Amino acid sequence: MADLKIQGLAKSYKDVRVLESIDLDIASGEFFTLLGPSGCGKTTLLRTIAGFQSQDKGEIIVKGERIGTKPAHKRDIGMVFQDYAIFPHLTVAENVAFGLKARSLPKAEIEQRVIESLKMVRLDGYQNRLPAEMSGGQQQRVGLARAMAIRPTLLLMDEPLSNLDAKLRIELREDIRDIQRRLGITTIYVTHDQEEALAVSDRICVMNKGHVEQIGTPFEIYRKPVRRFAAAFVGTMNFLPARLDGGNLVVGGQSVAYPHVEGSGEIEVAIRPENVLLAGGAGEGAAITLKGEVRKVTFLGREAHYTLKTEAGEIVAQVADPAHDFVTMEGRMVDIRLPLSKVALFRPNGDVVKAGSAR
Amino acid sequence: MTTRFRFDLWTFVLIAAWIVLLILLVWPLSSILRASLLDNDTGAVSLVHYIQIFTTKVYQRAIGNTFIAGIGGMTGALILGVTLAFVTTRFHIYGRAIIQTLAVIALVAPPFIGAYAWIVLFGASGVVRKGLATISVSIPPLYGVAGVILVFSFKFFPHVFLITSGALGAINRSVEEAAESLGVSPMKRLFTVTLPLILPAIAASALLTFVLSIADFGTPRIIGRDFNVLATEAFNLFGGEVGGNPGMASALSIVLIVLSMMIVFGQRWVLRKNVYYSNLMKKPERKRVIGLKAVGLHVLAYAIVLFGALPAIIVVLFSFRRTSGPVFQPGFSLQSYEKVIATVSAPIWNTLMFSSAAVVAIVISGTLIGYLISRRPNIATGTLDALLMVPYIVPGIVMGIAFITRFNDPPIALTGTGLIIILAVYVRRLPYSARSVAASLKQVGPSLEDAAVSLGYSPGKAFMKVTVPLIVPGILAGGLMSFVTAMNELSSSLVLYVGSTITMPVRIYLSVMDGEYGTASALSTILLTMTAVAVYAAFHLSGRKESALL
Repeated sequence: MADLKIQGLAKSYKDVRVLESIDLDIASGEFFTLLGPSGCGKTTLLRTIAGFQSQDKGEIIVKGERIGTKPAHKRDIGMVFQDYAIFPHLTVAENVAFGLKARSLPKAEIEQRVIESLKMVRLDGYQNRLPAEMSGGQQQRVGLARAMAIRPTLLLMDEPLSNLDAKLRIELREDIRDIQRRLGITTIYVTHDQEEALAVSDRICVMNKGHVEQIGTPFEIYRKPVRRFAAAFVGTMNFLPARLDGGNLVVGGQSVAYPHVEGSGEIEVAIRPENVLLAGGAGEGAAITLKGEVRKVTFLGREAHYTLKTEAGEIVAQVADPAHDFVTMEGRMVDIRLPLSKVALFRPNGDVVKAGSAR
Repeated sequence: MTTRFRFDLWTFVLIAAWIVLLILLVWPLSSILRASLLDNDTGAVSLVHYIQIFTTKVYQRAIGNTFIAGIGGMTGALILGVTLAFVTTRFHIYGRAIIQTLAVIALVAPPFIGAYAWIVLFGASGVVRKGLATISVSIPPLYGVAGVILVFSFKFFPHVFLITSGALGAINRSVEEAAESLGVSPMKRLFTVTLPLILPAIAASALLTFVLSIADFGTPRIIGRDFNVLATEAFNLFGGEVGGNPGMASALSIVLIVLSMMIVFGQRWVLRKNVYYSNLMKKPERKRVIGLKAVGLHVLAYAIVLFGALPAIIVVLFSFRRTSGPVFQPGFSLQSYEKVIATVSAPIWNTLMFSSAAVVAIVISGTLIGYLISRRPNIATGTLDALLMVPYIVPGIVMGIAFITRFNDPPIALTGTGLIIILAVYVRRLPYSARSVAASLKQVGPSLEDAAVSLGYSPGKAFMKVTVPLIVPGILAGGLMSFVTAMNELSSSLVLYVGSTITMPVRIYLSVMDGEYGTASALSTILLTMTAVAVYAAFHLSGRKESALL
């Protein structure tokens, strides 16, 4: 088992800075996800850890050893690729044995590890198949077995599920998570799919434009975003323009006492759709109250989404298990409550407003 | 360190490739340019040859005829090839394997065999003409412009067929269904959706067939009679039956190269914004048709390929006919083969030796250069890639003339050796090999090598264990196809051969010109058999993809 430290890692292509001074501290056995939009630098970071690209500056430290200048093939890192990268000229068993042969293991042990690895990804019996005869999901299982067979110090996964269809994606991500838990292997997982990141990770690192926006558990990232980017990228979030005015929070024409922070200035109010309360829905504590017209109702079965037009801007609200008359209220005016306990405030520079520190 | 070693190795390959191309391509071609600009008598720089070309009637006619042959051959091949591709990819036709085999036979049959076989059928004393005359149907003998265009059309259509079949098979059926659902009739859909989508393939095959048509020497020579084209004029002036005029031959060669270049740029212009990417969701399906329409489609498809393969079939049949001197007699015998073995077996060994030597060199250097182009892109490899385009547009006859002008005297005197024939084939075919290796390397994709590296193999070992096994079948198939073209090379060898280095195509050509049709048929059949074996092996190695044969 191994821990990974990354210190001040930076990389540029010509004038573009792809990674600017990344610091990460990943614990042994952790499932750590790099999440961000395309071009945010997450894949570059992963490939730099693997040794396929070299950093301009900074250190990569595994189990206390600096591996930043080690060639890729000596890093002992298992990698799973977005396009599977299964060797098409080799059978499934030969693919899995490929890395073991490089390590000159005895034949019997190779055979045993191949069987073990294939059983782990539920592909026992497929030893002699050629990749061309297998589905994408099966090929990626081979990719996973191949990477795990060498018992690497680190497992790196580069968007392993993005070429698969939705149902398979969920099935395989559960498998990946179970196998990782069972073997306790330190894993770094790259994805642009926020739902996938929330589902599998111990911790998530949200990245944007080559730098880290926020690192935290899935719960922290979703419920307590510290950056506007993380709040907007993960899940759905309503943003309303607002103003802090000496202990009051002003949204539209409404003002509500907000004693937690001092000072004044332009800010944004952020609230998740499931926290918006409609038509006198029971709520405790102080709240911003607005009136809004229901522009659209989207019925999704176990929940419904309401698009509301208010004086402060458009708000999406989510109501769980909606009753019948909730579904037929397009065009009506409703009362909207935004409970202050569920609201986050973001400054124009993207930082969250913490209690007692508006300035 | 390994990276440093790799750097040195590939730098060496790059420098070697440049030296080879400068010596075997740029230097010889520069001699043609130089000769075309020098007055034969005074040796002074002058444009006298070019002025003569554009003021002398016979050369003006040659330029016009070259255009006619090029456009005629291209048009005919396009009509036949696209029609056949469309019929076989869109309708259920029985015996598709037979159709493909016949098309491949037409493709790989030596080019001048076609001209000769058509004469046997439709010439002044052609079998079919005579047969028709007995039932008092009179058709004109197949000489001149019509004959040349007909031969080109049936000779070159398989290129078009194979290229456009691939493109037609890759059109997403939903796109055509979308057009149909928008109320477009099937016929209109063909012209507004389907054909525009395969335009890049059509343009590519149009370019290829045009260049092949204007570079062809044997066909206009054998069947053209007084239909002179630039290739035949250049050969006559150079060959010196009437004294020789190297300056004029060179100037005509330059005009021929310029013509080819114009077409290449023309193709680029047509395709400047016509590259379509499409995710293939639904493959096109073959419609089942019944009744008269089905009969019509089958007759159409089989007629095209049978006519295309007819020359090869005729040649094989005639090689077993009894002869008396140059005249065929009724009945069958092995006379012609006995004569070939007794008197003219040297060309067979020469052909095998020269072709093997050229192909070994082509495969080795083509693989190295192909790797360089696709995996180490920089200015030096980019210009190397551009330089490799040149042999595509230089006709064999021109390359032959360039070689003999440059390598006649020291520092490099090669005239009369087998090596000069080998080198000419080598430089003409090298680009095909290098580019096909580059293309297949691009398909392997770097993530496979990355995967091997992550599993503990050094980059060099990863290349050997993963990339090489994946591209070797393609390299071998390409090598065999180079072998086929090397064996069938006529035009450059015709300029470069001497008595002891004569090859089979040259011998066949000379036999046809001398009227020894029996010998020509037997030799052609042997060449065809050798070709067929190589093609079958290439086909097998490439996983039965017809596209490997181009």
